[in-house]
Amino acid sequence: MIVGEQKPVREIIDTIIRYKKLLILGCGTCVKTCFVGGEDEVAALASALRLALKQEDRKIEIEEQTVERQCENEFIQEAANAVARNEAVLSLACGAGVQALAKRFGDTPVLPGVNTTFIGIQQKPGLFTEECQGCGNCVLAVFGGICPITRCSKKLLNGPCGGSQKGRCEINPETECAWQLIIDRLTLLGQHKNLRAYIPPKNWQPSISGGPRKYIREDHII
Amino acid sequence: MTKLDKPNVTLFHCINSIDEKLTKSYIHKRNINVKLISLPCSSLVKDVYLLRAFEAGADAVAVLVCPENQCRHLQGSIRARKRVERTKKILEEIGLDQERLSVINVSITDQLAVSKILQEIVAGLSDLGPIRVAA
Ligand code: SF4
Ligand code: SF4
Repeated sequence: MIVGEQKPVREIIDTIIRYKKLLILGCGTCVKTCFVGGEDEVAALASALRLALKQEDRKIEIEEQTVERQCENEFIQEAANAVARNEAVLSLACGAGVQALAKRFGDTPVLPGVNTTFIGIQQKPGLFTEECQGCGNCVLAVFGGICPITRCSKKLLNGPCGGSQKGRCEINPETECAWQLIIDRLTLLGQHKNLRAYIPPKNWQPSISGGPRKYIREDHII
Repeated sequence: MTKLDKPNVTLFHCINSIDEKLTKSYIHKRNINVKLISLPCSSLVKDVYLLRAFEAGADAVAVLVCPENQCRHLQGSIRARKRVERTKKILEEIGLDQERLSVINVSITDQLAVSKILQEIVAGLSDLGPIRVAA
């Protein structure tokens, strides 16, 4: 899922300052799961903003709505009436959701209420960790299902470095050493011979360094 | 009468943490508007409920939870405390004094607990004054 964090309320207030009627639009998928953009967070932020602006004697009308997925036009469509009733939209989705709204509602300002941070998983309730950097050419098969690009602080493809200690990363001992995990898992799977193979430098062209990417499914395009 | 002559206090409480009847009879005799909101477990409290209590006019909000080792649902009171701590940070961000919100462990056997808590809240409010909410 996409993981994000809500922006500080003060920063949000600065971005909405000129609007009197605001729609806060949540997304019921990834950002709901990481507690930043579902119905509950929309309601809490709306309440916090109303209280904050009242302290400053400023008036604002806030409408709240959450759609199933903000990155899909079909779901965004459900918010069209609410968008039309308001001067601006504060989106609590990831950056894709914000931009999908901006595309769909060209004449309405759309503002981000979330800092989109990474593609990750929920390890346990309340703990989200980064697992994939969308490199465009997945190499997990070689590394026992553990991504060295994302989880090794030095992105080493031929690790480990010399600094791993007791299974922890030398850059940040709070992080597990990805290479320790890779070795342990490959050993468990009986695939430790993968460790003898030299992995050549990665071609980063399919990643973000080649500019914004596209994925085309010809059979779905009319 | 100014608002703080009769402060508005919202008390969220776990049904296992206070004797509601006794509490109501006590509140009745005091010069405080108290809204009692009972929850099956204090862990059900969350930021939006606490913020809306302030929006609804509470000058102070407290969450009364069982002592940590006596929660019937094991970690309910710990969860409630964490939710309150998070909401306090939001209050700070929006310019409301964190002191307006508290989480307090009470034991149902302590019959004077709520009366003491209300006294403390009212004393604290004399410094903070009334909250500003939508007319
Ligand atoms: S808008 Fe972002 S957060 Fe919502 S479903 Fe799409 S990718 Fe996930
Ligand atoms: S190898 Fe690339 S695609 Fe696969 S998990 Fe790592 S960053 Fe993501």
